[in-house]
Amino acid sequence: MSRDEVLKALSKPSPYGPDVDLNRFNIGEPETPSLDTPGVEKIADRLGIGSWVFKKADYLQVNESIVARSMSEKLAKYGAIVLPTYEALKKLNWVSNYSWRLIEPARDKYVAATHLYGRELGFFIYVPPGVKVREPIYTCLFITKRGYAQLLHNIVVVDDGAELNLVTGCGVPDQPIGSLHVGISEYYVGRGAKLTYTMIHAWAPDMVVRPRTVAEVRESGEYVSYYVIYSPVESLQTYPRVILRENARATLNSVVVGGGRSIYDVGSAIVLSGAGSSGEVLSRNLGRENSAIYARSRIEGAAGPSRGHIECLGLIEGSEAQIESLPEISSSTPEAVLTHEAAIGKISEELISYLMSKGFAEDEARSAIIKGFLSIEEPKLPPQIMEVVRRTIEYIASRATG
Amino acid sequence: MRNIDVAAGSRTILSNINLKIGYRELHVLVGPNGSGKTSLLNAVVGIKPYEVVNGRVFLMGEDVTRDPPHVKARKGVVLAYQLPPAVKGVVAGRFAEELARRFEVKKSYVDMLSEILEVGRLMDRYLFDKMSGGERKRLETFLTLLTKPKIALLDEPDSGVDVDSLNTISSALKAVLDFGTSILLVTHSLHMIKLLRDYVNTIHIVYGGTLLMSGLYDEIVPLVEKHGFSGLALRFSRGGTP
Ligand SMILES: Nc1ncnc2c1ncn2[C@@H]1O[C@H](COP(=O)(O)OP(=O)(O)O)[C@@H](O)[C@H]1O
Ligand SMILES: [Mg+2]
Repeated sequence: MSRDEVLKALSKPSPYGPDVDLNRFNIGEPETPSLDTPGVEKIADRLGIGSWVFKKADYLQVNESIVARSMSEKLAKYGAIVLPTYEALKKLNWVSNYSWRLIEPARDKYVAATHLYGRELGFFIYVPPGVKVREPIYTCLFITKRGYAQLLHNIVVVDDGAELNLVTGCGVPDQPIGSLHVGISEYYVGRGAKLTYTMIHAWAPDMVVRPRTVAEVRESGEYVSYYVIYSPVESLQTYPRVILRENARATLNSVVVGGGRSIYDVGSAIVLSGAGSSGEVLSRNLGRENSAIYARSRIEGAAGPSRGHIECLGLIEGSEAQIESLPEISSSTPEAVLTHEAAIGKISEELISYLMSKGFAEDEARSAIIKGFLSIEEPKLPPQIMEVVRRTIEYIASRATG
Repeated sequence: MRNIDVAAGSRTILSNINLKIGYRELHVLVGPNGSGKTSLLNAVVGIKPYEVVNGRVFLMGEDVTRDPPHVKARKGVVLAYQLPPAVKGVVAGRFAEELARRFEVKKSYVDMLSEILEVGRLMDRYLFDKMSGGERKRLETFLTLLTKPKIALLDEPDSGVDVDSLNTISSALKAVLDFGTSILLVTHSLHMIKLLRDYVNTIHIVYGGTLLMSGLYDEIVPLVEKHGFSGLALRFSRGGTP
């Protein structure tokens, strides 16, 4: 792809979500790495991870600066690698095989801008064949600068038979900031390998967020993602796509808690491109205040036998919020069994009454029901990650009422 | 309950109900389907759309008529639903722990009830989600009784359950009566009453929106068996004694 083509793509809008003028944002200049940026501590708290992550994070980037990265024994012991993407590309020549392969640089203006101006900031993680890194690896991407464009390129390679449980927190302090976050993520899951990817987002009402994720899962591999966004944003649009080879599996969970005047356009797509593959999209959407949620999901049956299921549930609180559920199933083979269920409703008065009969005040009852609604029954995450997810959901539910 | 009238919306369902239940007493309210049993319990607790439109509800001398359901529950008036709704995402075991914590009930008491009601296996399930009739009733009885209420209002814990569950639930009622909970048991059949015979203080028959008669086990059960609810009502309406 020529540079000209990518330059041209700088004016190419995404087919989804509101179009945003990139000139609103400054592409960052290199700065002195420092953790003393005001507000950084608060971000970790808002993400429900807690500020201990500053000591434990395996990769922490604030604005342009990589302020922490793991050289820990934990990873060395596994022979795993965590590096800034630019450094990985410089030091390890094989990394280029994984760079800009799943995501086309000219896909849209956000991707193009990252390709041209992102300077390959972001994280690169590699787990060698057969190595199972069970402890969660934490990466954090924070923004504290106003009117700034954070453009990231992340690459994760989990080699054959390996396992990685990655948790990424992205956020800003709880105040106006008017910045842009673009994260280009290319994930490679090897044969029989497993990657779980949990991403927690906490933004501000004037943030523009455009993550772009594609994962390729080789034969008998497994990919599980769990995405939570619970803060207001100006607009957020993402539509991760997962390609499954033979006997590979994927479960894509997303939890969107809408608030403010935000627009959330959050999708999940799975391509069943190998025989024996199976995928599930599970999404929970809570619409509050004046938010609008577009919950997209798509499963394509390209090879059979294969199986796919979409479950998309929405709950609306208040009369101003809006949820649109857009499940799509498409098949080019009779041997793909694809199903979907979608429902949108309000909190049932009967459930509130029931919990009140057992001593819960009305707001406690609402909060318990919301927590229940947001808890996906089987997100297929390992226990240590479920713990993180449970804390986050509890934090959200406790703030969601009163 | 003193001179209670119950309505749902604009519709009057029951009138002039009087019931006085003492400490550790077991009262049974029987009557055919549609006679207003559920409406009475819901109105007493304050579950919409049921409402006490006239009369008063007292708990140990305190007027609690207008207390919302959760306040009544905290004071010790706890309702077990006839048909508890599935609460997806709420795990039964965690919910039970939360109730025990809120009502400051000892774990040993909860464990005792759990054992009697055989609900251990249900603890990692979502509340009432995809449960059989018997499982539902045992779980709802468990969650109600574990709060150690002053008075438990049990709405047909016996309907749609098999003989084993019937025995199980009856044993639990006996146990909590011994521990000081009073019970108002609502049912449309005589099976459970028979299992609880030695514990029953008074049986009340509700029919056509009023309390038809009240009496001891030996007075009421034979009459119901002989005439059925409608037969009894007929005799009353003729002005005779049964
Ligand atoms: N929400 C309601 N609105 C109007 N009528 C109701 C409502 N609920 C129950 N009823 C009526 O009140 C009567 C008593 O019902 P219910 O209390 O459920 O009886 P039971 O529990 O004894 O079977 C029935 O005629 C029923 O149709
Ligand atoms: Mg009833």
